[in-house]
Amino acid sequence: MAPTLLQKLFSKKTPGTTSSSGTGAAPELCWASAEFDLAQIRLIVHQDCERRGRQVLFDSKAIRKLDPSEPNAEETKVPPARSGACQINSKASQKESPPTYQYTRPASDVNMLGEMMFGSVAMSYKGSTLKIHHIRSPPQLMVSKVFSTRHGSSNTGSTNTLQDSFESISQTCPSHTSSLAHSNPVDMPGRGHSEDGDSGIARSASLSSFLATPMPSPGSSSSSGCASSYQRRLLRSQATSLQHGPIPRWSTEEMFSLSDESCSSNPAMARRRKKIAVSIIISLPEKEEESHSFQEFFFSHFPLFESHMNKLKTAIERAIIVCRRVAEASQRVQVYLCRVMEALGEFRMTVWNLYMAPRITEPVWLTMVSQSAERNQLCQRFLKEMSVLMEHGAKTQFLSALLTAVLMYHLAWVPTVMPSNHLPIKPVCQKPASHTVDLLAKSHPYNPLWAQLGDLYGALGSPVRVCRTVVVGRRRELVQRVLYILSYFIRCSDLQENAQPQGHTDSPANPCPAQYSNSAPLSERTNETPLIPKSEAAKPPVCTENTNDKTLSANVDGANDAPVSERTSKKAPKSDSAGPSPLPEPTSERLACADPGWEPFGDATDPVGGGLEHILANQSPPVQRVKFTIGSPRESDHDGQRCGRGLHRKLPHRRLADMRRNESSDSSLGDSDEEETASPSQQAYTPATETAREYELPLPSCQTESRASVNHFGRSLLGGYCPQYMPDFALHGISSDQRLKQCLMTDLEHTVLHPALDEPVAEAVCIVADTDRLCVQVATSQRRVCEPGRLGRDVMVSSLVHTLLTSVLQLHTLNIAADFCVMHLEDRLQEIYFKSCSLAEYLRGQRRVHVKELGLALGIESSDLPLLAAVASTHSPYVAQILL
Amino acid sequence: MNALVALCHFCELHGPRTLFCTEAVHPPAPSPPQPGSALLGDREAEREGEGLTMRANSSATQRADMCEGCRSLPVSHPGFVSVDTETGIRFLSHQHPRQAQLFSVVRQACVRSLSCEVCPGREGPIFFGDEQHGFVFSHTFFIKDSLARGFQRWYSIVMVAMDRIYLINSWPFLLRHLKLTIQSLQSTALKVFDSEQGVCPQRAVRMNSAFSPAVFPHQRSGNAARSLPSLTQHPNLWASLHASFSWLLKACGSRLTEKLLEGAPTEDTLVLIERQTEQEEEMNAEGAGGKSESAQCRDFLFGDDGKGEEYCGPNFRSLRHLRQVLGAAEFRQLAWHVLMGNQVIWRGTDRGLIQSAFNVLKTLLPVGCVRVEAYSSQYEEAYRYNFLGLSPDVQIPAHVSSSEFTVLVDVLNVEQGCVHVVCDDDVLSLYQFSISSANTQPVDKGPTLLNKLEVALTNENLSVEVVSHCLLCLKEEWMNKVKVLFKFTKVDGRGRDDTQKVLVLLGATGPGEEDNVRLLKFWMTGLSKTYKSHLMTAVRSIDVICKSGNERVSKRSSTYPVSV
Repeated sequence: MAPTLLQKLFSKKTPGTTSSSGTGAAPELCWASAEFDLAQIRLIVHQDCERRGRQVLFDSKAIRKLDPSEPNAEETKVPPARSGACQINSKASQKESPPTYQYTRPASDVNMLGEMMFGSVAMSYKGSTLKIHHIRSPPQLMVSKVFSTRHGSSNTGSTNTLQDSFESISQTCPSHTSSLAHSNPVDMPGRGHSEDGDSGIARSASLSSFLATPMPSPGSSSSSGCASSYQRRLLRSQATSLQHGPIPRWSTEEMFSLSDESCSSNPAMARRRKKIAVSIIISLPEKEEESHSFQEFFFSHFPLFESHMNKLKTAIERAIIVCRRVAEASQRVQVYLCRVMEALGEFRMTVWNLYMAPRITEPVWLTMVSQSAERNQLCQRFLKEMSVLMEHGAKTQFLSALLTAVLMYHLAWVPTVMPSNHLPIKPVCQKPASHTVDLLAKSHPYNPLWAQLGDLYGALGSPVRVCRTVVVGRRRELVQRVLYILSYFIRCSDLQENAQPQGHTDSPANPCPAQYSNSAPLSERTNETPLIPKSEAAKPPVCTENTNDKTLSANVDGANDAPVSERTSKKAPKSDSAGPSPLPEPTSERLACADPGWEPFGDATDPVGGGLEHILANQSPPVQRVKFTIGSPRESDHDGQRCGRGLHRKLPHRRLADMRRNESSDSSLGDSDEEETASPSQQAYTPATETAREYELPLPSCQTESRASVNHFGRSLLGGYCPQYMPDFALHGISSDQRLKQCLMTDLEHTVLHPALDEPVAEAVCIVADTDRLCVQVATSQRRVCEPGRLGRDVMVSSLVHTLLTSVLQLHTLNIAADFCVMHLEDRLQEIYFKSCSLAEYLRGQRRVHVKELGLALGIESSDLPLLAAVASTHSPYVAQILL
Repeated sequence: MNALVALCHFCELHGPRTLFCTEAVHPPAPSPPQPGSALLGDREAEREGEGLTMRANSSATQRADMCEGCRSLPVSHPGFVSVDTETGIRFLSHQHPRQAQLFSVVRQACVRSLSCEVCPGREGPIFFGDEQHGFVFSHTFFIKDSLARGFQRWYSIVMVAMDRIYLINSWPFLLRHLKLTIQSLQSTALKVFDSEQGVCPQRAVRMNSAFSPAVFPHQRSGNAARSLPSLTQHPNLWASLHASFSWLLKACGSRLTEKLLEGAPTEDTLVLIERQTEQEEEMNAEGAGGKSESAQCRDFLFGDDGKGEEYCGPNFRSLRHLRQVLGAAEFRQLAWHVLMGNQVIWRGTDRGLIQSAFNVLKTLLPVGCVRVEAYSSQYEEAYRYNFLGLSPDVQIPAHVSSSEFTVLVDVLNVEQGCVHVVCDDDVLSLYQFSISSANTQPVDKGPTLLNKLEVALTNENLSVEVVSHCLLCLKEEWMNKVKVLFKFTKVDGRGRDDTQKVLVLLGATGPGEEDNVRLLKFWMTGLSKTYKSHLMTAVRSIDVICKSGNERVSKRSSTYPVSV
């Protein structure tokens, strides 16, 4: 088979992987540079109980599957073929009898891991805590989420019964109870998602809290491109700013439920605190390079990993709750193990697929952004593919429907057509890069990866909606064509990495550069240094301590200080000063007193030799206090009173007075003398008359070169024709929608509850384009579909989009330069943006919309209204309120 | 980066202590491209006020329970600052962060990293944190000390941020660079250690000295007080650490940069910028000469608000107002002439009124098509001005008044000598308008743009602002058609048949087709030079590509690897 143009576009770049995919079908970019074994992922659930100490509730290493047909301990030991899907057997064999598991003794390292999960000192913080450890040998990454438990008022059973069961059955394994896991009559309805999703929580929230700070309509006076992008990023920078102290951005109430009644927690239970840690341990590849690339992937894609961990945690919660209803101990364990293993299988598969699934090699938009040289060819290719598809789906207006949906939900295209106000330096067709956003990123850093993720999921509107698109079809080439075309419309910023050139070892991170860290023996070195008199330097350092102190004070006074000036002048020539100059003089013009004030709770309050408990209790303002307990958990039972204190007050607005009051009242809780001195009443505050003038030092800089970043979402979340449905990809193709149908609703609900975007999300949407049946449906977390066999509702074709497509492609047919056709396409998209401005202006101050009037007055057809409203919501948040 | 870095130490006598902390202080938010900035600025200021700032008695830090090992800068030391001049971010270093909230955040991070969290091998990276206390990347490490228990002391460097995802994303970067920092400290201290051991081997000293539990802690209390500069023999260690930490914060924040595209400027914007540039060049050439010209330019740039609003007399406020005053049919006729590119002459005594009429009428056109002479004492040719204001006594040449490409509006005073008018805008009570043109074409069929605009103008439910948005949409829509037609006819030089096809696909045909085409042709003259020259050069480069087209095709098939 001769390779088609499309095959080239999806061609695999990674060398060394070609041989394994002997299917003859078009290869695509494989992301991973290394094989990834499912057994590399281990799950440990650990419990830390004040009374009973630590117990392992689950360790996938200690689970053995008892199945005559599959004697293998872990079903996942055999890694799936690289080209094939990773499918977990348990699903397939579900109709047969479910697997039976044996719980053996936990692995030997589990106690050490428990220490790492919970820490050596118990903390009384009630919210969930996230931890990541790097274990050196064997090389592993451990991600732990530690939750406080929540009990219902009625059921006091908790996990003890489960633990008892484990203990009682020890190592035996009954196999006759196997069917119970699936015939259990009390099966859960998806963890009460339905209430959350449909009862209006999301909806009401969407009307109030999710609305971003209102912005003036962009049409008014000086509208500029990327205003909404800018806004989003600025708000993010402010929301995550440390400058005003920690302000929790969202509820930290996330707990581990041990019963169905999630609302009221029994105050009696609150004292007997219990924590549960869910930990995923990933074995790293042994080869340094592979390990490195996996880690780069892991850390840049962490939000996705975390989101799947949350899903896993929910499944474990359910497993514990459900299994407790089983009376017989051994059956109970089976139910529990079955469920957790199934969830783990799911997790492993998702991670495997996330890492290994094929990607679109050359997403059109990103390629155009990053390489302007090949632009014309790229445009030609793009138009050609689009023409073919347009023809193919002409009958059902397939492409128009798909694009209507994509433009409506993947909204990141909007800022890319909002007109800029300044003259482009480059030719007109090449859109200008946003200068304002660039400046913002420098002065108010935000996470570009976060911005990119939001772009890809289209989370630009208000209320915030996130969207993915799945293209389903048996014809690989057709699906790939659709993916290719959509990779132009699903947009995001391109990321570049600024790094030191390779082989550059002289980093400003090194505080002791050659002068100090060279191999010269100390005696010689001190000779070089004029600062320390020989006599003193020669003495044992025990004696020079005071000298050092003097030296530092001397520096302050402007005494001789050659080494520093030498160093600084090396790094920044401008500060070069003749002679043995002291540290730079305090600068009078640059007063570092924007936040003038010394720490009020200075070290004076430090108790001597007190336990950690005291140290912290005295140090931190009470509202943020964490209780530390040292020693055995039992000891802290005396501290019930303290635990009961509300540690959870949220403090968006803190006032000095509050803090003082709390501070002094809190000190009464203490039981050591030191605490008395901590009372601020005894501390004299000097008035803020004398301002601190820091010594100004030049900011070191080092040479960086920017290169295309590989590990970013723009490259990783635009999937190719994947063997299996992927819940994370902003765009990907699959051959069958079987698994999609199984998972979609749960996934959408999960997205709303645990958005990978790290900001509240009002609705999750999935566009499903079926290339076999040439239809497009939109599934949403907000509305359940009644019709069986359908995923969502059909898309109404926007006539704006349809005429846009038609005229662009007609221009193409008329042999107008491809480059120009694409420019025209952008112009037409800009028209949609302008129309959305009209709509926003019209809706300003209105209460409800008369669609008829819109049609007549604004020339807006009803088929265009959803699209225009969605676009308008990116720049005029109030629009959603009026139209909803 | 929105973070702070701190060096922490587990003091043998005093437990976990924060030694040195570098924060990044960001300038107030830069003004966004939209008026929304004011809003944000206020919020920022509001939040600034929340920040607790107090000065503690400096003697507080001098307490006896501090030892050298627990301290970095002496109490009298004001700290260090470095300024990133490009961004205005200031990096401040002190022993402790100066804000109360941040103090406790760092304290938390310090205690957790050295006393609570468990790292296998006790040296290495950990991430931990929660929404309430912030998130922490911590790296613990030992520093050799010949006098310390076990011959080493335990430290950690923590990076604290509220954006946990950002911090986790930065893990590999932070690990890489903190390792450098740590290794550098360790190797420097190791050399000191080795030389000290050479002078006086402590192991032997300890083995030989009698152990007495009573004196043990006191015996070594002096030893516990060794500071990090002492351990590394680096007297300016804190200044160096300040530089390293500041750089780390900056580099981590700029590790990834976004390339974010925005839309191309509209033709109107391009033309305005071009005119401004021309004006500036002329000004430079002529000195203070071309004042009236530059005033006119400002006119364009700032939408005439200056002149229009200063003038208090009767004036036209909007297209709708003009239409009400003139009457629907007269307005249609006038607007039609404007859109077709005909010369529009207003003749009358009230300069301000005429100016306001032009201000309103010219919104119908792309900026590039507007050439206004607001008030002249002599007739000016149509190619110079398509909006021309004349004083009543100016005679219009016969060839002009008989031309179908001209429309004349005479403003006649109704009541002469009535002086009590101040800001009365009842234009009708003051003036009558007589519109005359030699045009014989029907003005009621097209152009499509005008038909649609009239619908919006008629609909009283639409505010003036909405109407102007609608007009903007219509203009942009037609400007895009103009671009295609320009490309097609002027750049590619296509024939009549092809052009007709393009007109069909642009939706310019049907009723009013003739007017639509006229409008398109007139508007083509208003395209910006930037745009036109781009298309022309693009064509040239495309020609080059096309010439080598065949070659490229063959190349393509050969570069495709046959993968079976």
